[in-house]
Amino acid sequence: MSDRTKSNGLSRRTILRGAGVAMGLPWLESLNAFAATNAPAAYPKRFAVLFMGNGVNEEHWSSEGNGADMKLSKTLEVLSPIKNKINVVHGLFQKRATGMGIHPAQTGCLLSGAQIQKGAIIHAGTTVDQVLAAKIGQDTPQSSLVLACEQPMTGYHETNFSLAYSSHVSWQSADSPVPTEVYPSLAWDSLFENRGSLRNMSVLDRVMDDANALTKEISSTDKAKLDEYLTSVREVEKRVDGMRKSKEKADEAGKGKAIPVAMMERPANGLPEDVRDHARLMCDIIAIAFQTDKTRVASLLLCRDLSAMYYPFLEVREGHHAASHNNNSDGYERIARFHLSQLAYLAQKLDAMPEGDGTVLDHSCLMWINNMLIGRKHDNSRLPLVLAGGLGGTLKTGRTLDYIEAGDDNRKLCSLFLSLMDRMDVKLPSFGDADTRLAGV
Amino acid sequence: MVSGPAARAAEPDLDRQFTQTVKPFVTTYCVACHGGASPAAGLDLRPYTSLSMVVRDYGQWNLVLEKLSAGQMPPKPMKQPPAEARAAVVEWIKGVRANEAKKNAGDPGVVLARRLSNAEFNHSVRDLTGVDLKPTREFPVDPANPAGFDNSGESLTMSPALMNKYLQAARDVADHMVLTPDGFDFAPFPMLVETDRDRYAIQRIVGFYHSQATDYADYFEAAWKYKHRAELGKPRATLASIAAESKVSAKYFPMVWDMLEGKQDEVGPIVKLRGMWRHMAKPGAWEEEIRAQAVEMRDYVVRIRKVTAMEFAAPLVRGLPAGSQPLMNWKWRQFNSHRRDSDPEALRNDTDPPPVVPEIPRYPGLHQEGAYRAAAVMKKARAAEPDLVVPAAEHARYQAAFEKFASVFPDNFYIQERGRYFPDDSQDKGRLLSAGYHNVMGYWRDDTPLSELILDAQGQKRLERLWTEFDFIADHTNRTWAQFYFNQSGAVDGKGAESGTERPVDKALDSPEVIFAMRDKYIAKAEASKNPLAVEAMKYHFQWINDTLRTNEKLRLEAEPLQIQALLKFTEKAYRRALTPAERDDTVTFYHTLREKNSLSHEDAIRDSIVRVLMSPKFCYRIDLKSGAPAKPATGTRVPLSDTALASRLSYFLWASMPDDELLAHAKAGDLQKPEVLKAQAHRMLADPRARGLATEFGGNWLNFRQFETISSVDRERFPSFTNELKEAMFEEPVRFLENIVRNDQSVLDLVYGKYTFVNPVLAHHYGMPEVEGGSDHWVKIDDAVQFGRGGVLPMAVFLTQNAPGLRTSPVKRGYWVVKQVLGEVIPPPPPNVPELPHDEAKMDAPLREVLAQHRNNPACASCHQRFDNYGLAFENYGPIGGRRQKDLAGHTVDTKVTFANGWSGEGFQAIEQYIREHRQNDFLDNLSRKLLTYALGRSLMLSDEPTVDEMKQALSANGYRFRPLVDAIVTSSQFRTKRGPEKEQRGE
Repeated sequence: MSDRTKSNGLSRRTILRGAGVAMGLPWLESLNAFAATNAPAAYPKRFAVLFMGNGVNEEHWSSEGNGADMKLSKTLEVLSPIKNKINVVHGLFQKRATGMGIHPAQTGCLLSGAQIQKGAIIHAGTTVDQVLAAKIGQDTPQSSLVLACEQPMTGYHETNFSLAYSSHVSWQSADSPVPTEVYPSLAWDSLFENRGSLRNMSVLDRVMDDANALTKEISSTDKAKLDEYLTSVREVEKRVDGMRKSKEKADEAGKGKAIPVAMMERPANGLPEDVRDHARLMCDIIAIAFQTDKTRVASLLLCRDLSAMYYPFLEVREGHHAASHNNNSDGYERIARFHLSQLAYLAQKLDAMPEGDGTVLDHSCLMWINNMLIGRKHDNSRLPLVLAGGLGGTLKTGRTLDYIEAGDDNRKLCSLFLSLMDRMDVKLPSFGDADTRLAGV
Repeated sequence: MVSGPAARAAEPDLDRQFTQTVKPFVTTYCVACHGGASPAAGLDLRPYTSLSMVVRDYGQWNLVLEKLSAGQMPPKPMKQPPAEARAAVVEWIKGVRANEAKKNAGDPGVVLARRLSNAEFNHSVRDLTGVDLKPTREFPVDPANPAGFDNSGESLTMSPALMNKYLQAARDVADHMVLTPDGFDFAPFPMLVETDRDRYAIQRIVGFYHSQATDYADYFEAAWKYKHRAELGKPRATLASIAAESKVSAKYFPMVWDMLEGKQDEVGPIVKLRGMWRHMAKPGAWEEEIRAQAVEMRDYVVRIRKVTAMEFAAPLVRGLPAGSQPLMNWKWRQFNSHRRDSDPEALRNDTDPPPVVPEIPRYPGLHQEGAYRAAAVMKKARAAEPDLVVPAAEHARYQAAFEKFASVFPDNFYIQERGRYFPDDSQDKGRLLSAGYHNVMGYWRDDTPLSELILDAQGQKRLERLWTEFDFIADHTNRTWAQFYFNQSGAVDGKGAESGTERPVDKALDSPEVIFAMRDKYIAKAEASKNPLAVEAMKYHFQWINDTLRTNEKLRLEAEPLQIQALLKFTEKAYRRALTPAERDDTVTFYHTLREKNSLSHEDAIRDSIVRVLMSPKFCYRIDLKSGAPAKPATGTRVPLSDTALASRLSYFLWASMPDDELLAHAKAGDLQKPEVLKAQAHRMLADPRARGLATEFGGNWLNFRQFETISSVDRERFPSFTNELKEAMFEEPVRFLENIVRNDQSVLDLVYGKYTFVNPVLAHHYGMPEVEGGSDHWVKIDDAVQFGRGGVLPMAVFLTQNAPGLRTSPVKRGYWVVKQVLGEVIPPPPPNVPELPHDEAKMDAPLREVLAQHRNNPACASCHQRFDNYGLAFENYGPIGGRRQKDLAGHTVDTKVTFANGWSGEGFQAIEQYIREHRQNDFLDNLSRKLLTYALGRSLMLSDEPTVDEMKQALSANGYRFRPLVDAIVTSSQFRTKRGPEKEQRGE
C-alpha cells in the first residue's frame, strides 16, 4: 500500500494540495461482488449522474431512429459501440431553472426541481440521487458517492445567486449540498478504508478496555451493572464486525483470480494535472464501487457550470466557459465530446462486468445531463440528456425519445426522475414540479 | 438517638409480643381470607411465625398497619375485633417499624452503579462542552423507579439498542468540535463542512462587533450624564464610572468629552456640534428628549463624515479587470487606513464659484471600476452640503478642524458586510465580512477604528484572536487563493476575467513557488501599464498571501500538541476526577494509534478520541470506586465516600450535572467531608442557575409533569389557544416556581399555599392576567395571583391540563394527582370493569360531578374514591386546558363545592388549601421529605431511613419550612456521605 502518513503530522488534505502524477488504476477483473452468484433478478440496481455544464454544440447533437439503425450525430457518435443500451432523450427541461437568470439559477435545481433562493442564505432541494441514497443507501457501506473533477466556487454570481449552485449538483437537503470529493485518493479511501461504522470499532474496543479495567475496582453489586454495559458494547461490536466481514466477502467474491480490492494500488495523492486522467480515475472509482457494491448511487461533476477548465489536448485555447460562448465552434464540439466520452467509458467498463445473465450496466442507469443546450445564449429550454443501462430490464434501451413537441407539461425533467425512481423501487407521488411520470419511457 | 445496640436489645420483647398477641389475633381475624389455597389479594399471613420474618417483609406489614388503623380490615361483614386488640396490634407493628429504623439508622444502603439518565447526560455534556447540545433528545424515555425517579440503578439499564444510540450521540457531539490554535471548542452546530466553519467563525466576529458600543448617540447621552452628574445625584462620578454605567468604552469616552468640552476655540463642524451640545436640555427633561437630542447630534456627525470620508479607486492595469484581487485589495487597504481622515477635496471656499453638480454616470458593468460612479455621487452630495463651504482666508484652519473631527469620529468603526464590488442598486445584504470579489468568496478585515478607539488591550487581543481563529478554523485564505488561481488568474495571461490557470505541474498549489510565479506574471503586467502603485499592489498581495499561508501552516503544526493537551483536560473533566498516569498515557496512545494504524487525520483522531471519552463508562456511568476510599475501612459497616465521589453525588443531586471546578477543587483539597464545607458548597450550588436541574428533574418527576412537553391529548381545533408556545409556558411555570424556592431558599409550603406564581406573556394571557411585555423567555413574578385564581402548584395549568383527557376535565385524575403526587398517598388501582366516562364534555347531559355520583353511592367505589374525588371536584371551575370558567363545555354551571368524609366542606381550590393546612400538612411535608431523600440518594427508601426523614421534617418546622435546611439535613446525613463497607457485603445483605 502506498505510504500515506507523514511524520511531520500534516493532515492528508494538506499533502494533497500538491499536484499529483497521472496514473490510473490497474484494471482487474473478478472484483464483481455478485459475479459468482446465481440469484436471478436480485441484482442491485445502480444509479449514477454525470454532469457537464454550459451546453453542447447544438449543431452536432442529434439522433434518429432506434436500435441498430440509430443514427448518431458527431458528438453522440462516441456512444456508438453501446447504442443498443442507451436512450437519447431530447426536449426535456427544468422549468424552475428557467427565467431566473443565467448560470447558478440554471443549475441549482437541475436535479431537484426546487425553487432556489437568492442572497446570503442558500436554499435549494434534495436531489433525485440523494433521495435514492436516503432510501437504498443503508444497504451499502457508503450511501452515495459524490465526486467532482473541479473544485467548487463559493462566492456570488452577479445575479446574486450563490455559486454553490453552480458547483454542486447533488444536494442532501434543501440547505446543504453534498460536499464533493475532488481528490481521487480520498474518494478511494472513503470506499475502502475505515470509514463509517468501521471507524467505530477502535473506539468500541477501547471503551471495553475501560470497562474491564473498572470491574477490578468496584463492588460485586456494581459489577452486575457494568456487565450490562460490557454485553451491550460486545453486541454492537458484533454487528459492526459483521458488516466488515460481509464487505470482505464481497471483495473476494470472485474466486479464482481473486485479488482483494484492498491490495490494489491506490491513486497517488494530489490532483491529476491532466483532466483526462482525472475524469478517467473518477469513472474507475465509480465502476469499482458499483462492482463491489460499496454503493449504488453516484454523481460525478465532470466540470462545473461556469467551468474554468482547460483542454490543451483538445487544442482549445480558451477556458471552458469562454469557449461555451462560442459553442457552435469545432473546439467546443470537441469539449462536449470529451465529456460525453466519459459516459461511454464508464458504461463500457460496467458492460464488461458480467453479472448473472447480463452485465453491471444492464442493472444500472447512468444519466449524462447538461444544464443548457446552447451556451452562447444560455438556452436551457431543452436539455441534452443520455441514459445508459437497462435498470434490470425495467428500462427499454436503444431508443431516441423526443419530447420537444409534447407540450411543457409533458416534458418535465422531474417526470423522468419519477419514472427512474419507480424502477429503483422508490415510488413517490410527486417530485419537484411533477406529479406524473414521463410518457413513453 | 437510640443506637443500634439498644434497638437490638428490644428485639426479644417484640418477638415475645408477636407470639403472645399478634399471631393469635391474625389467626382469629385474618387468616380465614388471607390464607388457604388462594389468599385474598395474594397476601398469605399464615407463614409469619417470628419477628424476623415480619421485618423481612415489612412492606406487607405496613399495609396491614394501614388497613387495620383505617378500619378497612377486617371488612365489615366479617367478625370485627375489639378496639383494644386492634390497637395493640397496630402499636406492635409501629413498634417494629421504629425499632428497625433505629437499629440501622443511617445505613447508606445499596446504591447501584448506574448510567447517567438522559437528562443527566444532556446536562453533563452541556457543562463539558459549553454548548447545550442535548444529545439524548431522541433517546427512549428513561424508566422510573417505584418512587417515580429516573436517576437510580434500580431502573436505569443498558442494552445494545441503547448503546448504539450512545454511539450516535457521542459522534454527534464530537462533530460539533472545532480545533482552535490552542485547543478545541464546541460550536452550536456541526463543524464538518467548510460553510459551517465559515459561519461559526464569522458569527463570532460579527457578534463581537455588535457587542461593542459604537453609536455616537450613546456617548453623547453619557456625556450629558457626566456633565450634570451633580444634579443627577452623583457628584463624585468620574468619566470612567459614567462610562461603565452607560456601558460605553472607557477609552473612547474621554475623547468624545474633550471634543464637546474642549477649551480651545474651534471652527467648522466642531463648533456646530458644540452648539448642539450646549443646547441639550437640562436635568428634569424627559429621558426621551435627551435621547432624541443625542441622536440628532449623532446624525449630524454621520452626515458630515459621509461627505468628508476618503474614497479610493483601484489602480488601473491594462488587461486586468478592476476587480482583480491584488488591485481590489490595494483599494480596501486605503479605505482601511483612512477612516479617521477628512478628504481635503471635500471643502470649498466661499469665494469659489458654486460647484458643478456632476451627472451621475450609469452603473458600471461587470469587471469595471465602480469608484468613478461613487465619486460622482460623493461630489453631488458634497455640493449639497453647506457646511463644507469655508471662509477662504481660514481654509487651513477649517481643514485642521475637519481633520480633528474625523480623527475622533471615523466614517465607520468597522465594515461588517460588503456586496458586489461593482455597485449597482441591488443592495446585496448579508455577505458578512465579504471582500466583495466577483464569483469567488473572499473575506476582508476592516475594523481599525474599532481597535484604535473603542477597544481596550484585552478587547484588541480578543479581536485579533477571533480573526486568527477564523483563518485557522475555516482556512479561507487558502481556499480563496485556490479559487483565484483556478477561476480568475487567467486574466494575467490575457484569457479574460473569468478564467483560471492550468493545474500546476508537480508542485503544491499553495507552495511559495507557485504563488511567486503568479506574482511575477502580475508584476510584469502592472509594469507594462507603467503603474508603480499597481506594481506595489502586486508585490504586497502575493507576499501577504504567502506569509499568511505559511503562518497558518506553522500555527496548525504548533497547535497539535496543544490540542492533545486539551484532550487530556477534556477527559479529566469528563471523568470528574484526576486521571491516573496510566489513563493519561492511554489517552495519548489511543490518539497515536488512530493516526498511525487507522490513518486518520489529526482532526479526525481528536474527534474519535472525544467519542471514546463520551462512550466510556468513566463518563456515562456513576460508579463509586474502591480506590479513593481509605485503604483500611473503619470497623463497622460504613465507609466514607471518597471526596471525588462525594462531589459527584452532590452535583448530580443539586444540578443533575457534573461538578464544577470549585467543587472539584475542594474535593482535591480533601475537605469536602467536613460538614461546614459540604453545607457551604451546597448553598453555593443551590443559588447557582444550574440548580434548575433540580427543579426539572426532581420537581418534574415528583409532580409528574416531566413528559408534559410531549402531550398530545389536547384537541387543538377545539382549543386553538393551546399553541406550542402555551404548552412550553405551561411546562415552565412549575419549573420557575420550584427554581425560586430552591435558589432563593423559600418556604416549601408556598408550593401549596403560595399566593404567587410566575408567568410569561402567553401564560399571562391564558390566565387572564394583565399583559406582560417581551418575548416568551421573559418571566415575571405575579405576587397576587389569587385574584386570578392562581397561586402555588395546585391550580397551575400544566397539572390541570395533563390530568384532563382532552375534551373534558377529570376530577378523578386531578384529585388523584393531588393526593398521590403532592400528599404521597398510596391508592390501589381501580377494578378492571369500570365503564368509560364520555370523552367529550360538550356532549354530556349532566355535569361531570353528577356522572361521578356512582363513586359516592357505591361502597366498593367509594372506599377509594372518597379519598381523592373531592380534591379534583374543587377544580371544576378550570377547564380542560386549565383556563377559568363558570360553565362547562355543555353549558352546565360548574359547582366546586367539596365535602370531606369527616364532614368538612368548602368551595374551590382555596378550600383544598385550607383543608390541607388543617388536616394534611404533615402528609405533604412527609411526602416531600421522602421524595427528596429518595432523589438525593438515588435509591428507594428503607426503614432505616425513617430517622433521617424525621430529622428533615424537624429541620423544616424549626426553620420556617425553608428549602435549605432540608438539603442540609440530607447532605450531612450518613446515607449521603458514606457507603456500605466490605463486611456488610460479605454477609450478603
